[in-house]
Amino acid sequence: MAKQDIKRITALCRITCSLLLAVVVLTLSSCGRSKGNSGHSGTGGGAFDSTLVIAMLGDADYLNPVLGSTVTSGNIIGLIYPSLLQSEFDTETGLLNYMALEKKLRDVTAGQGKKTPKGAIARSWSMSPDHKTLTYILRSDAFWNDGKPVVSGDFKFSYQLYGNPVIASARQQYLAELVGADKGQVDFDKAIETPNDTTLVFRFYKPVPEHLALFHTSLTPLPAHQWKNVKPDEFRHSPLNLEPLGAGPYHLKSWKQQQEIVLEASRKSHLPKPGNIPVITFRVVPDYTVRLAQLQTGAVDVVENIKPEDFTALLKANKQIDVKTVGLRVYDYVGWSNIDQNEYRRSGQIKPHPLFGSARVRLALTQAIDREAIIDGYLKEYGVLCNTDVSPSLKWAYNDRIVAHSFDPAKASALLKAEGWQPGPDGILQKQGRKFSFVLYTNAGNARRNYASVIIQQNLRAIGIDCKLDVQESNVFFENLQQRKLDAWMAGWSIGLEIDPLDVWGSDLKKSRFNFTGYQNPRLDKLCELAKEKMEPTGARPYWLEYQEILHRDQPITFLYWMKETQGFSRRIEGEELNISGTFYNVDDWRLRPSANVAP
Amino acid sequence: MLTYIIKRLLIAVPLIFGVLTLTFFIIRLAPGDPAAFFIQPGISPNVAEQIRAQYGLNDPIPIQYVKWLANVLQGDFGRSFSRAQQPVFDVIASALPITMTIALLTLVANFTFGILIGIISAVRQNTILDRFLTVTALFFYSMPEFWFALMMIILFALKFPIFPASGLNEIGAESFGPVGFVLDRFWHLVLPVTVLSINGAAGIARYVRGSMLEVIRQDYIRTARAKGLPEKVVIFRHALRNALLPVITLMGSSLPFIFSGALFIEVIFAFPGMGRVTVEAIFSRDYPLIIANTFISGSLIVLGNLFADVLYAVADPRIKL
Repeated sequence: MAKQDIKRITALCRITCSLLLAVVVLTLSSCGRSKGNSGHSGTGGGAFDSTLVIAMLGDADYLNPVLGSTVTSGNIIGLIYPSLLQSEFDTETGLLNYMALEKKLRDVTAGQGKKTPKGAIARSWSMSPDHKTLTYILRSDAFWNDGKPVVSGDFKFSYQLYGNPVIASARQQYLAELVGADKGQVDFDKAIETPNDTTLVFRFYKPVPEHLALFHTSLTPLPAHQWKNVKPDEFRHSPLNLEPLGAGPYHLKSWKQQQEIVLEASRKSHLPKPGNIPVITFRVVPDYTVRLAQLQTGAVDVVENIKPEDFTALLKANKQIDVKTVGLRVYDYVGWSNIDQNEYRRSGQIKPHPLFGSARVRLALTQAIDREAIIDGYLKEYGVLCNTDVSPSLKWAYNDRIVAHSFDPAKASALLKAEGWQPGPDGILQKQGRKFSFVLYTNAGNARRNYASVIIQQNLRAIGIDCKLDVQESNVFFENLQQRKLDAWMAGWSIGLEIDPLDVWGSDLKKSRFNFTGYQNPRLDKLCELAKEKMEPTGARPYWLEYQEILHRDQPITFLYWMKETQGFSRRIEGEELNISGTFYNVDDWRLRPSANVAP
Repeated sequence: MLTYIIKRLLIAVPLIFGVLTLTFFIIRLAPGDPAAFFIQPGISPNVAEQIRAQYGLNDPIPIQYVKWLANVLQGDFGRSFSRAQQPVFDVIASALPITMTIALLTLVANFTFGILIGIISAVRQNTILDRFLTVTALFFYSMPEFWFALMMIILFALKFPIFPASGLNEIGAESFGPVGFVLDRFWHLVLPVTVLSINGAAGIARYVRGSMLEVIRQDYIRTARAKGLPEKVVIFRHALRNALLPVITLMGSSLPFIFSGALFIEVIFAFPGMGRVTVEAIFSRDYPLIIANTFISGSLIVLGNLFADVLYAVADPRIKL
């Protein structure tokens, strides 16, 4: 082949490549210009100063309070719709406070009570002496965004939707104490009355503690005039779901599904006021690494649930980022099947599990696991040793006299020996020919649990227990748990702010769907019942103290650690107050610092 | 040829239908429950039951199948479980164009760069340039795409913030005007398309190089040179046309690969395309959406293969269909 020709071909290719490159550069530079004009990624004011960008893992399912069930939906619904009461978590006592315009459930302790009650639709309320009737007096100056007044009828109408089995709202449990619910069907004519537009009466079939009554009757309303003609079987796919009509500080500007939800401050709202930040954009960014990168470059302002291992690099890379923590609501645990699940599934009989049936063995397992090492190695200062499922944040109920079981392999070995477990020829403990060997399951894609499970495996191996690890897809894992098919597993719970643990520990295994371990203790059932009967939560404190002592003694599971939730914020946000009830609890009060003031 | 195409399309109907039926049973037999989300403390146990009743999941599986079949034959693939009960084709209609855009851009980039690199490598066989291109192509070809995507983001969105890390458009892109909007969209597509096409292009370059080397040694190329034809004409008109024959078949068969590649690219770059729809549908056990997705991707694969066969016949007159 002639050298000249080859050169010519190479030159041709070179020209083509250069041309392509030129086109790309031109395209990019013009994009860069248009980007600069928009201003979000620049610092030239405009959209940058007026738009807050929040990264979210997934899209909202519905922006309809009756149907919305994801965390994202809840956050956005809270900004769009009005609410009957305002609620606030008192970090001093660990109790929830409810506020109407002119009434508060509790006195606010010093340093608390930053939330204004001005957003509440209720002016005040009164609970009847028998705790069976709750009457709200509503304000008359609250309006939906279309100018129609918010009236008591809207609440009654919405509760009928919440209770409709065809609509299948995830919140129908809130109606469980209303008149008729004990007979299987809420009698709405008697249970909710609206004598006039500003009076709303709820009637219960049994005495209900005031704080629970307020909690259960303050579900978010829908505008009855907008929804009244929608049939229940069309409710879930009604086009109205895409045009939420609210009354809160923000309204929906646009919703590009699976991409972004844009909210705009409602200029006319006085529930409590138009949001300070003119535009809030919730952007769907499913990948964690990308969310982190975007926080670092300033493309987003808020990223939730940042992993502890990323803090140092994040804060080092960008001085304009602040990591804030809140908690403690979430804990991880190792579940031990207390009963022989195979036997229970086969014959319905309760027999102790051959490995984990004894409380002493479970205590030995807890003592054999170095929980502090997991915290030091992974969570660091964002983890707290967990003793029971009553969070240290719920100070009114927390038992601070409980001393954590310390890491003590020698004690654990002695306990196991006393239970008849002897080392076999291969070093693995044995009892009546059965080896102490099991599989510890956990769900896929959780780096923290993977880390913990490896340490647990090593710890248990050191005292002669053979623990194999297996990871299952989340859906499969959860189904196996529900069907009580697993002997040992690692999972976690996020607790509610009201203590109601019967679902998890109740002795009636058919009713207590989340009692995966099969633990049974009649005294625990009794304590939960006694606590529920108290009309004032603090009155139940002695019961909860005893409850924690029992759990600590019986070790139905090994409680590992509480985790602080860690959120990344851009420092250009001012006024954010993190609260255990949610990251965005006062987002309408947030402000964006003008870009000129942000240090480079 | 028309008869051939019609025959192939007719054969495709029972094939796709069989795939759908298999999918129907497999996903229902797989563990997991579409109503699992509603099974948690604080939610009444009735809710999961009501949701299952709404989805028609309480019937025995054969009855569910008959009902599903009756609907599908009327063109109704049902409503999505997980996406606010939208009709599944509405979900797909909003996702498919995004994936198609990525796939087409990737296809074009794949073949443009693949063929160019292949030709250079072949024409300058055994030079340093050829070795460099070969090693580079192999390097990218063996790189896991998801990892490569994350590296590209870290490099070009984080260390040197030239390109955006995610999303289809900038916040407030509507205000850029139509031209600005489209350019902004392309700007956002640079990284994902690069990731998807570098890997593919590297593979195609290897094919083209091999095929070119084979053709260049043929007698008719020597004859062409002996006639005194310019090297450009010899390479592009005589050699390349013949060398591209096996590459053409790649075009049809690479469609499914590009589609499956788009799956994780969309998750990483937060594009609301078919890939993400599929992944999320599988995780939430959204049966109607999974089946509709299988239908769409199955049809595309069948059509892609048919397209490749037809293209083959068009490019090589020796092949009769």
